[in-house]
Amino acid sequence: MKYILMMNATKAHYDAYAKWSKEDLQRNVAFMRAFSKELKDSGVFVSTEGLAWPNEAKIVRAGKDEEPITDGAFAESKEFLAGYWIIDVESPDQAYEIAARASAAPGPGGIPGSMPIEVRQVLTSFTDLGI
Amino acid sequence: MKYILLMFGTKAGVDTYRAWTKKDIDTHMAGLKSLANDLHESGELVAEQGLTGPEEATVVRGQKNGMPVTDGIFPESKEFLLGYWVVDVATPERAHALATRLSTVPGPGGAPTNMPIEVRQLANHPLKWS
Repeated sequence: MKYILMMNATKAHYDAYAKWSKEDLQRNVAFMRAFSKELKDSGVFVSTEGLAWPNEAKIVRAGKDEEPITDGAFAESKEFLAGYWIIDVESPDQAYEIAARASAAPGPGGIPGSMPIEVRQVLTSFTDLGI
Repeated sequence: MKYILLMFGTKAGVDTYRAWTKKDIDTHMAGLKSLANDLHESGELVAEQGLTGPEEATVVRGQKNGMPVTDGIFPESKEFLLGYWVVDVATPERAHALATRLSTVPGPGGAPTNMPIEVRQLANHPLKWS
């Protein structure tokens, strides 16, 4: 069963993160790298990506002439995807355990951040959508 | 330059989608497949992934003892990720053009969905952690 573990963050979260000390940032990134390596070593790793900061995030829609209409205005409460991991596990509980470890990534002062991690099963086929 | 094209929807939006006719859904899927084929051929497709519906979405936090705490309650307005495409393109404009094409995939009656597509660049070092 493949699951995606997503970290979401508002602009306020990003602003707070930008103020972390260099040491705190390094500790956090070191954790993320070690975490990905552990996922790879245990054979559950499928993929991971971190997204660039949302300053340049755009919403694109097609206009009447199918030309792009771009907009960069978002609500303050907007949750931006910060990064994700896709894992291939035996059960939902295993996905939750791994998500809990990601949630414990160190924040300022090395204290676990307790970031909420959204866990969703990914589609193997479109019949999974229930349509 | 790697970009991710994100498609989001609320629970209400997903319910509306599930009420589409089979013909509308088939036409919609054919549009998505056609786009994926074109991106394969152009070499721009890095990854694409659909997610299951939001009913089973769970938020997990780690406790001090490392055990997960799960929660499945979300506000009505919560935007759930429905799927994404990672593309490797020459310019931001190309990423926007591909997002536009996603936005013009047919919906009910064959009319473009005009779905909003969020376009984000993937991180490079030092935030790249893989």
